[in-house]
Amino acid sequence: MIKLENISFDHCIKCTVCTIYCPVARVTHLFPGPKQSGPDAERLRIKNPGLVDESLKYCTNCKRCEIACPSDVRIADIIQDAKWKYVKKGFFRPRDFFMSRTDLAGSLGTIFSPLANFLFSFFPVKILMDLFLKIPYKRSYPAYERGTFRRKFKKLAARQKTFEKKAVYFHGCYVNYNNHSLGTDLVRVMNAMGVGVELVREKCCGVPLIANGYLEKAKKNALFNISSLSGAAAGKGLKIISTSSSCTYALKHEYSHLLDMDNTGIYNSIEYVTKFIFDRFEEGARPPLRPVSIRAAYHSPCHLERLGGVMYTIDLLKKIPGLDLIILHSECCGISGTYGFKREYYQISQDVGYQLFRRIEEADPEIVITDCETCRMQIEMNTKYRVMHPVSVLAMALGDER
Amino acid sequence: MAYDCIIIGGGLSGLTCGIKCAEDGLRTAVISSGMNSLHFSSGSIDVFGYRQGGGKVYRPFDYMKETAKSNPAHPYSRIGSRMVRESLEFFNDQISLAGISLHDNGDENHFRITGLGVMKPTYFSQDSVFNDKFKKAVEERASIAVLNFDGYRDYYAELTVSQLRKNPIFKRTGIITGKVTLPFYTRTEKNLHEFRSIDLARVFDTEKYLPRIAEEIKRAARGARVVSLPAFIGIDNFAQIHKRLEDLTGCLIYEIPSLPPSILGLRLDNALRSRFAALGGEYSGGDRVNGGEIMDGELDHIHTENYGDTRHRSRFYVMSTGSFFSAGLRSGFNMLDEPVLGLRFSGSNRRSDWYSAKFFDRKGHPFLKYGVETNKYFNPFGSDGKAVKNLFCTGAMLSGYDPIREGSGGGVAISTGYFAAKRIIGEMKKNK
Repeated sequence: MIKLENISFDHCIKCTVCTIYCPVARVTHLFPGPKQSGPDAERLRIKNPGLVDESLKYCTNCKRCEIACPSDVRIADIIQDAKWKYVKKGFFRPRDFFMSRTDLAGSLGTIFSPLANFLFSFFPVKILMDLFLKIPYKRSYPAYERGTFRRKFKKLAARQKTFEKKAVYFHGCYVNYNNHSLGTDLVRVMNAMGVGVELVREKCCGVPLIANGYLEKAKKNALFNISSLSGAAAGKGLKIISTSSSCTYALKHEYSHLLDMDNTGIYNSIEYVTKFIFDRFEEGARPPLRPVSIRAAYHSPCHLERLGGVMYTIDLLKKIPGLDLIILHSECCGISGTYGFKREYYQISQDVGYQLFRRIEEADPEIVITDCETCRMQIEMNTKYRVMHPVSVLAMALGDER
Repeated sequence: MAYDCIIIGGGLSGLTCGIKCAEDGLRTAVISSGMNSLHFSSGSIDVFGYRQGGGKVYRPFDYMKETAKSNPAHPYSRIGSRMVRESLEFFNDQISLAGISLHDNGDENHFRITGLGVMKPTYFSQDSVFNDKFKKAVEERASIAVLNFDGYRDYYAELTVSQLRKNPIFKRTGIITGKVTLPFYTRTEKNLHEFRSIDLARVFDTEKYLPRIAEEIKRAARGARVVSLPAFIGIDNFAQIHKRLEDLTGCLIYEIPSLPPSILGLRLDNALRSRFAALGGEYSGGDRVNGGEIMDGELDHIHTENYGDTRHRSRFYVMSTGSFFSAGLRSGFNMLDEPVLGLRFSGSNRRSDWYSAKFFDRKGHPFLKYGVETNKYFNPFGSDGKAVKNLFCTGAMLSGYDPIREGSGGGVAISTGYFAAKRIIGEMKKNK
């Protein structure tokens, strides 16, 4: 049976524009491009799952095809769906299992953080991981923080209650386990705009689970997050903000499009942080900003482009006095979450990012700014520049007082 | 106000308008959903190609003046031929700043060759497209080799040649066909038949194989002086690649537009978007404007699909959302409208009125003239019948002209976009 809402492939007029903008098809012929792997092949797969062409596994789900499509075909969703519906996956996949369980890996990593960080950067260990887990030894891993952001937040929580206006912060795994300072920067920025931050119970948004084929687990997480967020936030009319463009996209769109979850209760409350800041500034809650004299290059992540949110980040950056901003040509960095951490895709991931790295080096800024945590890992590994989140740059402009 | 000007639609018209606004220092944003129709175009800019009663237009600006009185609703008649010319010069300057040199014949059209071998009048073409330089060589009895790539299925050189032979210009010319084999790709894991224009253009763009490709072209051309290739000679660096290939082969090489994606169109799109970005314009490709509110003859705000209840505000707005194919205009079973703001529409709702029973009717199909109705400044009318003063409609969504039958789509898109930008810049100065 074909479900009526899943026939957006039927809108495809075969113009092949998506293939022009596919970063993977640009660097390898192993991937036939989004048109062929998506709407073209879907017709065949529906009739006979035996006709599935495994080359679709090279899709990174960057969604640039969907941005390019003039006919509103949800190409990347079609490919993601087919990837796990039709392609056989092994039962025992330790690497994919751990990579997609960011909550599990993060909880362990933050408890043993000095040891974990040492091991993951210790060359012999990396060689072993390459041999046994097929995680390329050339890849550097994000370091774990000591303890979680949620624990750190407890110290800040009391002050948050003093604000009349509030918002819920979906911090995501990266802030919780790998980058506390982004979380604390966000709290400072929100407070400066007169908004108190609340946390609710949350699990990994599900992006890595979807990417690695653990759809049932992703659905469980989605259900948990939807009920937790809608109870605490949407019920009280609060906005839910996130500092991760991919988490935002998953909560807002992939839950309903890909996982068949009903997220209508939270849909209008979810906002990527720079959009929320834009609105607060428009309402007049614009804190005094001191000049930050930095030359920065801005890279827009694919999922933020898909969300149509790049305008707000650029608007925010333009409002920071003294920031000398170079906007880089919109390009995929290639890492695409866990994709670039796999040996079989490592070279493709690097080739995709090559143009971006080259452009960053040409621009030669003092720092690179981007909204996405994995873009950050990719850029820091491949260029000599430090990468910051827009919210952290804004926090710099707020000055030092707490 | 966050923006001075928000442009809905990032095609030829919207980007031309955006570049002009951004160049004047206005805070300008373009919101586009999906890539524009340049990707399906010939990459040449037609200004006026065919006369009302049939026959070709040789001097487009003269013809514009000639018909201004008898056809006052035509966008050109509203703008005037002088401003149309000014807008085209602006466009040419901007494109050349992005590294593409456009050929024109001054006051006259030139004739390019299509994939079917038809000669079509047009105003601007990239230097690598058939123009008077190539025509002169043909008239001096140079022979032509019309080549294709071995395995490429979206183009047939024989089809081009069968039409060309009927054309008096090529009567005394030797025309042969041939196939270029790309040596590198005989060993690829990918089936050559799966190649699309973009794959082949990327092979050229690497420049790595140019000497070998040049050898292949020479072999296939069998001594012909002029060589025709489907338009794959590179994307970013095509001007240099084209020149290098001509030097290496000793032939004059011209390009024929291919089936989508059109590389000739893609080059123009890249050039326009890079100019817009270089001038500080903000481009959002991932969202779709789906509504807005008109109050007292002004568009107050718009909203988009991904940000549901959020209002985007700007001092001025431009709509260049295109025609039916680009979803700027919408057709139902027995209705037509402009879907974003419900602007006043000119055209019949009766389905049977829309088209002519003959596909190649010389009078054209009526629906191609349908579109949004505007005043002489290209302000559309809201549901209350009042002109919306801070909103301009430009390009293919306009009524009053038939881009296909007249061969005027490119010129109208550029000139109306430019006109709107000039009006907005003027108003902004007045308000200061």
